[in-house]
Amino acid sequence: MALVFDALLALAMLWLAWQGVHAQTLFQAVVSFMLFGLLIALAWVRLDATDIALAEAALGSGVTGALLFAALGQLPPEPIRARRRTRWHRRLLALAWGLVLLAPIALLLYGVLQLEGRGLGAEVNASLSQANIGSPVTAVLLNFRAIDTLLELVVMLSAVVVVWSLGATAPSPLPWLPAPSLPALTRLLFPVFLLTAGYLLWRGEHGPGGAFPAGAVLAAGFVLAILSGARAPAPDGHTGWRLLICLGPLAFAMVAGGVLLAGYVYFEYPPRVAGLLMIGIEIAAGISIGFMLTALFFAAERDHSSQV
Amino acid sequence: MTDLYFYAALFLLANMLVGLARALRGPTMPDRMLSGELMGTTAVAVLLLLSVATDTEALIDVALIFALLSVLAVVTFVRRTWPEPGPPRGRRWP
Repeated sequence: MALVFDALLALAMLWLAWQGVHAQTLFQAVVSFMLFGLLIALAWVRLDATDIALAEAALGSGVTGALLFAALGQLPPEPIRARRRTRWHRRLLALAWGLVLLAPIALLLYGVLQLEGRGLGAEVNASLSQANIGSPVTAVLLNFRAIDTLLELVVMLSAVVVVWSLGATAPSPLPWLPAPSLPALTRLLFPVFLLTAGYLLWRGEHGPGGAFPAGAVLAAGFVLAILSGARAPAPDGHTGWRLLICLGPLAFAMVAGGVLLAGYVYFEYPPRVAGLLMIGIEIAAGISIGFMLTALFFAAERDHSSQV
Repeated sequence: MTDLYFYAALFLLANMLVGLARALRGPTMPDRMLSGELMGTTAVAVLLLLSVATDTEALIDVALIFALLSVLAVVTFVRRTWPEPGPPRGRRWP
């Protein structure tokens, strides 16, 4: 029975991926992408990777979808692409290119099949007691491979800086629909978003959760509030925003460097305070990710005072 | 009993795929958006059923996130994407 479920899921994902690339309009492509993210989260659930499913649900499907919709609103209306007949030599070229791309995939598959055992799960679980934290995924992200996570945060930070440096686009000319119920909805939902973000941070200590999903939920709450007419200072050129955005990478780097002063190796947490340090980093990173995603959303718009 | 939950999840997944047809065919933007929302809501139900069927509590958290963030997509669509300047709204609009 599980096989039927998985087969249906896989077929739908393939079909959506194809639609995402070959849709006639950008809007159709964005909808396909969003639904693809939704099904991918289900697929991760079927693969017993609940942590990734959480991150995919929050970031891949939720926040990215909304980000793409907002970007779509800034673009001029697009003409429908006419279906052209492709010339035969172009088809041949595409076929050849496809075959070339298949080669590395075949190599990867071969490599995966050569792998022995079932990954590093056993090793991680064996050294979990040294990390002083309950969740193996959090232990890997914030302790064993902490420098990767720090670099991920820095990549996000650079993305925000690049988007800011692109400057503002012209304010969106759309005549917005009146949405009188939106502020009421947001007043109802915003505390739930905050609560859920806090819950996910706390949950990351001993189960699936952590800074990335929590930050995404936090950002979703902020975006919802601003879309319903809440006033916020423009993200760039505002010291508070800058501090909040840098909070995560800064806290991370300070811990990594600070342990040097205490006589440990770079990124080696003292065993007695390891759990505490990781919780501190996680909270800082969660807040920071939330504000970074919000900044990405609104960096292009100078004037946030939308009339409802 | 657990089997029943799984069959129900399978039925809902099949339902999602029927809704997917509307998302891909349109013809108007709100049609696609609404069927996307339908898929999101159904995914919440599928996750909750799977959580009971496989006894995994963490899936409830995934369902919670789906339920919360589906609001975001629709609100962004209405506030930023939908009333596109250009031809008037109608059946022909992709």
